[in-house]
Amino acid sequence: MVAMFQEDNGTSSVASSPLQVFSTMSLNRPTLLASSSPFHCLKDLKPEERGLYLIHLLLTCANHVASGSLQNANAALEQLSHLASPDGDTMQRIAAYFTEALANRILKSWPGLYKALNATQTRTNNVSEEIHVRRLFFEMFPILKVSYLLTNRAILEAMEGEKMVHVIDLDASEPAQWLALLQAFNSRPEGPPHLRITGVHHQKEVLEQMAHRLIEEAEKLDIPFQFNPVVSRLDCLNVEQLRVKTGEALAVSSVLQLHTFLASDDDLMRKNCALRFQNNPSGVDLQRVLMMSHGSAAEARENDMSNNNGYSPSGDSASSLPLPSSGRTDSFLNAIWGLSPKVMVVTEQDSDHNGSTLMERLLESLYTYAALFDCLETKVPRTSQDRIKVEKMLFGEEIKNIISCEGFERRERHEKLEKWSQRIDLAGFGNVPLSYYAMLQARRLLQGCGFDGYRIKEESGCAVICWQDRPLYSVSAWRCRK
Amino acid sequence: QKKKRNQPRTPNSDAEVIALSPKTLMATNRFICEVCNKGFQREQNLQLHRRGHNLPWKLKQKSTKEVKRKVYLCPEPSCVHHDPSRALGDLTGIKKHYYRKHGEKKWKCDKCSKRYAVQSDWKAHSKTCGTKEYRCDCGTLFSRRDSFITHRAFCDALAQESARHPTSLTSLPSHHFPYGQNTNNSNNNASSMILGLSHMGAPQNLDHQPGDVLRLGSGGGGGGAASRSSSDLIAANASGYFMQEQNPSFHDQQDHHHHHQQGFLAGNNNIKQSPMSFQQNLMQFSHDNHNSAPSNVFNLSFLSGNNGVTSATSNPNAAAAAAVSSGNLMISNHYDGENAVGGGGEGSTGLFPNNLMSSADRISSGSVPSLFSSSMQSPNSAPHMSATALLQKAAQMGSTSSNNNNGSNTNNNNNASSILRSFGSGIYGENESNLQDLMNSFSNPGATGNVNGVDSPFGSYGGVNKGLSADKQSMTRDFLGVGQIVKSMSGSGGFQQQQQQQQQQQQQQQHGNSRERVGSSSDSADRSSMNVNTGGGPASTSPPYGIHHASF
Repeated sequence: MVAMFQEDNGTSSVASSPLQVFSTMSLNRPTLLASSSPFHCLKDLKPEERGLYLIHLLLTCANHVASGSLQNANAALEQLSHLASPDGDTMQRIAAYFTEALANRILKSWPGLYKALNATQTRTNNVSEEIHVRRLFFEMFPILKVSYLLTNRAILEAMEGEKMVHVIDLDASEPAQWLALLQAFNSRPEGPPHLRITGVHHQKEVLEQMAHRLIEEAEKLDIPFQFNPVVSRLDCLNVEQLRVKTGEALAVSSVLQLHTFLASDDDLMRKNCALRFQNNPSGVDLQRVLMMSHGSAAEARENDMSNNNGYSPSGDSASSLPLPSSGRTDSFLNAIWGLSPKVMVVTEQDSDHNGSTLMERLLESLYTYAALFDCLETKVPRTSQDRIKVEKMLFGEEIKNIISCEGFERRERHEKLEKWSQRIDLAGFGNVPLSYYAMLQARRLLQGCGFDGYRIKEESGCAVICWQDRPLYSVSAWRCRK
Repeated sequence: QKKKRNQPRTPNSDAEVIALSPKTLMATNRFICEVCNKGFQREQNLQLHRRGHNLPWKLKQKSTKEVKRKVYLCPEPSCVHHDPSRALGDLTGIKKHYYRKHGEKKWKCDKCSKRYAVQSDWKAHSKTCGTKEYRCDCGTLFSRRDSFITHRAFCDALAQESARHPTSLTSLPSHHFPYGQNTNNSNNNASSMILGLSHMGAPQNLDHQPGDVLRLGSGGGGGGAASRSSSDLIAANASGYFMQEQNPSFHDQQDHHHHHQQGFLAGNNNIKQSPMSFQQNLMQFSHDNHNSAPSNVFNLSFLSGNNGVTSATSNPNAAAAAAVSSGNLMISNHYDGENAVGGGGEGSTGLFPNNLMSSADRISSGSVPSLFSSSMQSPNSAPHMSATALLQKAAQMGSTSSNNNNGSNTNNNNNASSILRSFGSGIYGENESNLQDLMNSFSNPGATGNVNGVDSPFGSYGGVNKGLSADKQSMTRDFLGVGQIVKSMSGSGGFQQQQQQQQQQQQQQQHGNSRERVGSSSDSADRSSMNVNTGGGPASTSPPYGIHHASF
């Protein structure tokens, strides 16, 4: 393999612009092995072989991207582009987005090129399109439904007997959750409370739409209700804007939001040291192996007992790493704590996509998005435009962010429940175990609505939504410790 | 500039917390004139009054310096506002709160006989009582809010149900994924489904307040449409309606039925008041749409035994209308089908579609490796592996090649990523034969269908899944390619691998035992944790936490 790439180097050493490299590449088709299948046969690969080869290519490419060798990366990218396709089978689709992300990343090392290429690309920030994709995600996956159900249940239980309830929604994009809460409150034996919902979202239109739907429903149910829109990005949110008043019982709901606070500039330092390792890939290997070796045997046995995601690549490494301090997350959590909410419900992606090296993140995200794309494969026909939208505009963008961004730009810093628990605990919150009823309902939702293949695992009072054995999202409830 | 009345106040500010006694709060005329014994609510008023008697008087001046903000506690210990963190921001507020929530309702409206504890509330009500009318979309008028809500619940259920009906009949399994439909429509479906499910815990509360009406989130009925039999259809329909029940033990029963008797609900809907068929009832029900009261009350057979149905027809308010969440019915259908295969039980979480069941012949949820997910979409088409499965296979192959070629025992734990990593880096590294392996395995026909013939890095994978049945063993064995492992074992016998092999063999040979083994060890774990509890129980509860508990 190395030989092959060296061959490429030899032929394309004259070429300095991507276009030229491309042309020489297409003339001088690299062969997989000198004797066996030639490059043009790649198209004839069986899906499974193609899938494996795509994975292989992605990893090879990532190695080249990490070490910054454009030419080798380019060779791999070309093959990837031949095989990957956003409307092919699952692996082809995943590979298409990872390929784009990797290309994006290596292109960033040529800031001039990168900027020139993206200069005219006006970010088509179509609000309605964004809402539409979010809505499709809501429909195609049970994740938000389960999250909303568990969140509402936790709020209802915490607010038993309360007459003045204030709910803060840190991602006010989906009215369905609060419509459900309104109805649930309405059927409380002690009658509905005075309900105030504060929605935080950066787009005014979204909040307006939400306010309209909720006020309409509250009027229909005749529940005293007030919607308090806060147009702000979550990072710029001032706690004063939330207008929490004395005497009211406060609940906070955060759905897939907290991880954005982890974005920080301390990458600069980490990136530097990461680069050192990346230049020496075998070093990374060794380090990883070392990291695994202690405790892995014991943990493997532990896994036996607890049926704990047996093949999860992250379980071991996550626990052995110290929690990196994150000033912004901590100060935000502290600010929330200062409002002394009766309950705070947090939904997060349960994956470890915040590794310091590209390779770590690539591997972890490959597994996660493989599972997510598999979910779609079982539910939605391949030709569906909606499916492609979700894959491209939601997952594709996330992948791009995880793979090709660094520093403040890298916002999709998904972390495992374990780490979130530590953080939230440190901020002065105590875990509120999700009730039996909540879990029962969530399981029924999965069973009853055709979401086969999903599972809900209980992990120390929190819920982990899994696809098969792969944990995807976690829901946990908290309250102020005093 | 208009003064803001409701200045937001953050509760955690360093305000002075004041606890007043009930007597102080209830006192109407705390400030008494010593001459004429007239009482006043405020001292300022008394001072002004004293002027009339030519007594010395003094009005308090507004102090220029910033006064420390005060917050007031409710004296009632069971009240949420008894907690300092939930104190109320002003004196009038706490007084009214105390009257409203913990005081006697002395003021009664003559028109609707609603009672109020605070006179101003009563006054405000009296002004609007009778003038405000509640109009339902169906055209019916109500003067009282609760009758209106009762009506709305029924009326909504009907509207939603009739809107859903056509789709139910087609019984699309993917009902909640109406790709072709417009967003609004699917919006309603999806959200109401949540609603339906969010009610499922609610029936426990019903015995307290008969006047309460639960609104049905009938969206769950749509989910029920996934099943196709006619009884299922009925169940789905019925789920849109209210069941009447006055059975305090309803909760228990429901609980019980969650666990064991899911199936029996499915077809057994019993119509309490009408000899007509269920479907006819439905029809009639929808005809009665415009009357405020429904003419038929449906009941479930499991409730009928101890259920005296009150006359809901004439007075919907008096009746405790209970919504049995559609989720129950719908799940029961599901369980009905699944029990035969998986053995049922609330705990069996991952239910697999039937095509899986048939192909993989009695696989319980935990033990189905995700490789099988590939066959979910089209069981009859050529097998295509899911992306997850491909990644796993890649990881396996990576480990194989690294074992065979590097000669180094790369710590075969079940951490797939390290293996995958070595897969990637191995290729990048010195070994050309890695790729040879990769390509060889392509040509190896055994490798395409399943992972046969590949050394398994998931030595403990099978072991992870407790309680595999005998049937499944062959599956698992094929899957893990144990034969190959044994072969490769002889080549390189690292400790890890031996361990792995042992695990595999255990898994094969002592499968029946594995459950017991796990059980007994968890037993001992239980015991030890109990010991810990009894030993250090009181000491281990941290004081702040305890206080916290008490305060809520």
